[in-house]
Amino acid sequence: MQMHRTRVVATAFFALTLAALALAGSAQAKLVGNYTKFAQCPYASLEVKKCIYSTTESGEVVLGSKKVPIEKPVVLQGGTLKAVEGNAGFVGATNGITLSKAPQNVPGGLLGIVPEASSPALVKTLIKFFLENSLTGVNSTLELAEPASEIVVSENNLAAETGVALKLPVKVHLENPFLGKSCFVGSSTSPIIWNLTTGETSPPAPNTKIKGKAGFIEFLEEGRIALTKENVLVDNAWSAPAPTGCGGILSFLVTPIIKAQLGTTTAGHNTAILKNTLYIASGAAVRKNNEENP
Amino acid sequence: MRTKSTAISAALAALVVLCAMFATTASAAPAWKFETKSLEGTEVILGGAIESSMTVPGLTTKCEDFLYKLTIENASGTGKGSLTEMPLYNCTTNSKACTVGTIGAEKLPWASHLATFGTTNYIVIEGVKVAIYYEGEECVLGETLVTVTGSAGGSIDNTAETATFNASTLSASKTELKALSQKIEWNGLFPTEAFQWHREQALSVS
Repeated sequence: MQMHRTRVVATAFFALTLAALALAGSAQAKLVGNYTKFAQCPYASLEVKKCIYSTTESGEVVLGSKKVPIEKPVVLQGGTLKAVEGNAGFVGATNGITLSKAPQNVPGGLLGIVPEASSPALVKTLIKFFLENSLTGVNSTLELAEPASEIVVSENNLAAETGVALKLPVKVHLENPFLGKSCFVGSSTSPIIWNLTTGETSPPAPNTKIKGKAGFIEFLEEGRIALTKENVLVDNAWSAPAPTGCGGILSFLVTPIIKAQLGTTTAGHNTAILKNTLYIASGAAVRKNNEENP
Repeated sequence: MRTKSTAISAALAALVVLCAMFATTASAAPAWKFETKSLEGTEVILGGAIESSMTVPGLTTKCEDFLYKLTIENASGTGKGSLTEMPLYNCTTNSKACTVGTIGAEKLPWASHLATFGTTNYIVIEGVKVAIYYEGEECVLGETLVTVTGSAGGSIDNTAETATFNASTLSASKTELKALSQKIEWNGLFPTEAFQWHREQALSVS
């Protein structure tokens, strides 16, 4: 009798385990093929009409007198809502990494933005310490300055090479042990707003017009996914606020030096050129792919 | 003195030869003809494309009924035309996800002219603008306006009385159509038959 009861309990437990595994499998339904790029798209929401996965492979960001080439890929991913008058609101990536943080090397390193010669004695001594310990590399990381919902996408403008294709609120994080953890150009309250276009810009002087490019589109999955290669988004009419929080406790000494080194960062002195490969999918198609592959 | 006079004569002769060459080029411009006689006044060509499709890599759009109305004339010996109407019906795509919601020609009339490239006569249509709205919940182009713009050259076959548009004819006539900011393919076979004063007369271009 005892043996029989044990067997029943064991069988029930086994069945329960199987059911749990099945449920877990269903929750982890996965995207396959060309759809795998959209794993972090919030496609589960029926409000999401399109999924976007854009990789900026190269380009440059000029901030005042400093030019930082984009050498490490930066990914922008998420979904877009139904477009209103051509502009679609953005929904951030499900893993929270809407704009990936890819530290880019700042040419000239620490001495390029905090020159020893023009620094106060205390700063000079500290710089010497960092130089002696080979801590001279400075990275510049692009970060979202506002919630993803502030990003705006216009697919019509993107394709037509006119108007703003992507509005992106960003801030630039300057990283080096000497600069501390809070050295930023731009913030959530004072973001750098990039109005990126595939068309031609109209910047104030001294900048001159530059042109983006829609790129070459190819349809995949029978028109469910659009792959755009050689897409170039540009903006050289943006302004940037002064840097803040650089140098930790010596911020009051270091931040002004960096500000002086960057030079004028008002509109007409800055440039963003982003060279991208862009995948856009219909949200419904991604949902269907997910449902078909439990 | 004699040398100067010879030089002037030679220059004059060269000029005469050049003028003659240009005159030959001008007279060689193709014109619309009915029963081998040059068209005088205007005529209307009205018809429907036998086959027509537009392709962006990965997506082809076909229209079963591609009608057109073209008013033609010869101006200074060269065939000209004005495409005044081009309704498009029963358009589909090769994709299960995308259907054609609306499609229509914009900014009509479109000017056209006859031209010779190599040994072939072409009709070149300029200022082409066709707006397409694709539909389909799963279609990535849903909600996106696709506009086809540019110019297109089609080779004229006097025997079949047709104009053929394809990648080769567009390239040969130095024309191109663009959609989504990139060059697209357009294939079409258009009969060229008069529907006004010269009905059932053989239409040719030479």
